Amino acid sequence: MTTKTDVDLQGVNGDQEAATVGIPYGKELMLLAEAVATGNQELLKETRQNLVHQAGASVLVDAAGVAANFQRMVRIADSMGIPVDDMESDLGKSVRSELDLTRFASAANTLQA
Amino acid sequence: MSFFEYLDSPYPIREDIKTEFTKFWQRLAQPGSWWTGAERIAIARETRSAISCSFCAERKQALSPYNVLGEHDSDSQLDTAAVDAVHRIITDQNRITRAWVESLPQSGISTEAYVELAGIVVCVFSIDEFHRTLGLDLENLPEAVAGAPSNYRPAQAEPGTGFVPMLPREGLTGPEENLWPNGRNANVIRALSLVPEAVRDWLALGSAIYLSVEGMANLVGQEDRAINRMQMELIAARVSAINECFY
Repeated sequence: MTTKTDVDLQGVNGDQEAATVGIPYGKELMLLAEAVATGNQELLKETRQNLVHQAGASVLVDAAGVAANFQRMVRIADSMGIPVDDMESDLGKSVRSELDLTRFASAANTLQA
Repeated sequence: MSFFEYLDSPYPIREDIKTEFTKFWQRLAQPGSWWTGAERIAIARETRSAISCSFCAERKQALSPYNVLGEHDSDSQLDTAAVDAVHRIITDQNRITRAWVESLPQSGISTEAYVELAGIVVCVFSIDEFHRTLGLDLENLPEAVAGAPSNYRPAQAEPGTGFVPMLPREGLTGPEENLWPNGRNANVIRALSLVPEAVRDWLALGSAIYLSVEGMANLVGQEDRAINRMQMELIAARVSAINECFY
């Protein structure tokens, strides 16, 4: 089951307006994710307070969990050098192309595997 | 001693998060497969030192991590190679190469020990990041439990995917027979499988702070979460993009 909601993938690359398309509190969540991943403590304090004010404490807690989880997942993937499981799926190709993911150094773990 | 009670937290922390964090802390203190309890705690402590390591900051700016010489800001009794491995995983993970991983045994860190070290680092880092995101103090590390590592290596582990041997997608037997949840065997689940306990740790933690593997099949959202799946994936993808993670 899916929600059949249109979203704009450029939110993944930091486009604040794109992050709001179809995603409640998308801009606030995206900015929190940026603060976590960059380790910017001042920005983190600001985005945390803003998200609580806009969406509530439970949203902040669950968002913190997801961000913390993916701070972990990227390090598992890169430290073990795993390749992408399926480079042939149309959806995967489309997402990688739209977000220009081959610019990342870790693409070599898949493309040179 | 109790952990993860969150008595002073201004935010409501779900009970399953408290439970899984506490269980991981208990496992962290025990002898593992390739490291003692004391060494596992030292790895956890080093994970925290890496965040503010001045040498890591300098190396991160260098065109190549191998062009910069220096010493890490260390807070443990681990040997130099182990300290460097912890710090690389935290601060420069997307420049880890097969050649570097394969050189570790020459520095006294077996491939199996590296996988367990990485499993500890990522779980401790994840729990700490949850705290930092919420502006909460980091939890005190547990006291190590005495004992020797088991030296358990799953017989079916094989090279061919990534930098280290992993268990195959199909045909797991013995203690690993049910390691893949519902048969799901994506490479990110297989990644740490040279140390099966590390896979069990990541699955348990992930089910609390993100979703269980079974729950990932629900593309709408779970009733016990305050954010839906699209919100989760926006956060996940933005964190991964900033970390320049192709996977």
